[in-house]
Amino acid sequence: MTVKNGVKKNGGASLSMSRRKFMGTAAGVAAAGSITGFPNIVQAADPIRTIGLGVSIINEIQGKAAKDLGFKIRGQALGYGALFGKTLNQNDQYEVSECYFDMFDVMIPSGVFQPIDTKRIRDWDKVSNLTKTGMLTPGSQVGQGDAPVRQLWVDENGKRAKGPSRYISALPGWHNADSLGYNPDDTGRPIESWAELFNSDFKGRVALLNIPQVGAMDAAMGMEALGLIKFGDKGDMTKPEIDTLVDFLIKKKKEGHFRAFWETFGQSVNLMVSGEVALQSMWSPAVTAVNAEGVPCIYASPKEGMRGWHGAISISKKATGKKLDQAYEYLNWWLDGWAGAFVARQGYYMSTPANTKKHLPADEWDFWYEGKPAAKELPDPFGTPLVNKGQVRDGGSYEQRFKKIAVWNSIMTENDYLVKRWTEFLTA
Amino acid sequence: MSKASELHHTGLIGSQPQPDDTVQAKIAYAEEGFSTAWLIAPATIWLILFLVVPLLSIVVFSFWENTPEGLVPAFSLEFYGEYFFTKGFFDPESDRFLLPSVFIRTLGSTVYFTLVTMLLCLIVGYPIAYFLAMQVQAFKWQLALFLLCMVPFWTSYLIRAVAWLPMLGRRGLINQALLGMGIVDKPVSFLFYSEFGYTMALVQIYVVLGIGPIFFSLAKIPKDILEAATDMGATPFQIFREIIGPMSLPGVAIGMIFIFVMIMGEFATAVVVYGGKTSTAGTVILNYYGIANYPFAAVNALMLMLAMVVGIVVILRIVDIRKEL
Repeated sequence: MTVKNGVKKNGGASLSMSRRKFMGTAAGVAAAGSITGFPNIVQAADPIRTIGLGVSIINEIQGKAAKDLGFKIRGQALGYGALFGKTLNQNDQYEVSECYFDMFDVMIPSGVFQPIDTKRIRDWDKVSNLTKTGMLTPGSQVGQGDAPVRQLWVDENGKRAKGPSRYISALPGWHNADSLGYNPDDTGRPIESWAELFNSDFKGRVALLNIPQVGAMDAAMGMEALGLIKFGDKGDMTKPEIDTLVDFLIKKKKEGHFRAFWETFGQSVNLMVSGEVALQSMWSPAVTAVNAEGVPCIYASPKEGMRGWHGAISISKKATGKKLDQAYEYLNWWLDGWAGAFVARQGYYMSTPANTKKHLPADEWDFWYEGKPAAKELPDPFGTPLVNKGQVRDGGSYEQRFKKIAVWNSIMTENDYLVKRWTEFLTA
Repeated sequence: MSKASELHHTGLIGSQPQPDDTVQAKIAYAEEGFSTAWLIAPATIWLILFLVVPLLSIVVFSFWENTPEGLVPAFSLEFYGEYFFTKGFFDPESDRFLLPSVFIRTLGSTVYFTLVTMLLCLIVGYPIAYFLAMQVQAFKWQLALFLLCMVPFWTSYLIRAVAWLPMLGRRGLINQALLGMGIVDKPVSFLFYSEFGYTMALVQIYVVLGIGPIFFSLAKIPKDILEAATDMGATPFQIFREIIGPMSLPGVAIGMIFIFVMIMGEFATAVVVYGGKTSTAGTVILNYYGIANYPFAAVNALMLMLAMVVGIVVILRIVDIRKEL
């Protein structure tokens, strides 16, 4: 099946829906339900509110969900800090929070969410083992830090439980594993270890992610790969470990090792495209964006493993009655496959790969999930050509990538201390 | 003449004409009615709602506690302690003995960058303002050139900051030129993502804020005074030292206050042009906001504000800007 057919197919479905809408709202919604296989919601319902990062709050996604489900979904895209703050402090301002498992050391004790009953999640059986056991495939490495499996299972009161249990803290969503991006022309050789982040060959041509929680972990991967320190848990460092790490970073900074620190996706793309850096911590879709600018950039698969992160769709404790039912419908919709196919075209994976596969043309599935060369030019989620024919996704297949997660994004117990020392690092 | 001088009194903002009876009658009328109150009401309500209330809430937040269950109203000085004291500060054995906390040091470096930039803005901006006010004779040319200075403000702030990359970057214009002329054999990197580039960008972005007020105070100096001084045999340097300099000081002070306040709160340039390689008081606030530690972000914001107030008071102590008004 060609991509064009795929797009047409979607377009066709929406066309038939809008045609049917003329037949009356209730019938139209019922028809939409029957087309997509969702249970009918006959009455027009109140909107629900969802918050998240730009990764998952995209007009096309919530718009399609609203169309399929028959009620409005008001999405609000926030920055990481604002999402964290709003999720924690204003759970009356959303029904659904599309947040991340690394926030859950804070969110679970705070009790802002209600436990999600897996009996109400239709495709719960199809959710992969990545979050349920921590191992996507048998024998995979779970990884240090806030691995989703350590944050997932709760009891009916929302307290942590030893899994598997009937209740979960949040529904596993989109996820990815990050590492280093590099310009092979500048480095002159393949980058195969996090240790290269501190290699003096690249002095003055290295950038690091300036979100302390994540940047510190990238740096820790590098330091450990150099054999300078062995962290007990890179996702939960002790104060002395943080001191060792930051002192080392300050030393490197004073040597002029770092070209810049980036905070947003766009900045990391800029640094690479403008030739300012040769090597930097990077997010997978940013590498694709650099390539789209015609600048060579490779996503490293370091032998030490990658740093993973995982989206977690949660329901506010304040959601009750009909809104709660709608929230569950929205969660179920996320797993159904359309959304999985959408985020796949941005380079993210979904917790129900089997459903995603149903919604992705074979060429695209092979490229994004299997790590095979693109059989033809492939589009981004909005239909713009993104991947050239013959291009191969860096980092290999989904399974390869998640077989060896070194550490998961985490908020450490000593987070405040880390942020304080990180400030010192930047001021130095 | 004596009649005229009787009509003047020294008011809050310098010499004011003494109102005659009709004016006083009008004022009395205004006080009885509500027209004045109505006039200032929108601004007052606006300021109370969007300045005073948020400001007070920042003060209140700064005393709250940040617990695992979220923000809890309290009267806690914990975050003030965190701001001022570092572990080992009083301990002679510690390597942090008498080392100010990282937050005070960050505020200090923010003040330092601000002062350096202010000085550079003055050195660069004053001659421009002087040229506009003193050398350009025709008003239309003065206006045209002054508007030209404002052109950068027609684009967004961020674009002005980002635009330095194609100029100063590794593959930027200057590096291309240096490489092309064979002056260097590999791109120099001190131009961008450096203290040099940062300071330069700050000066470029903010110098106009200084040029404006200096220009206006220079333009107000009556030309006949300068002619009189020349006729009396004063050298250009003497004229500047005795007349132009002192009379333009209020404009300088106002310009410096603008620049001071803007750069103290600056954080975007540090990220875009310095590559995030420094902390400013602004980026610290942002970082703590980012991890939802609102009380500590509030403490930092208040300390920044305090530093700004102190700075403004100092500037006003040095120069009496009431003369300008």
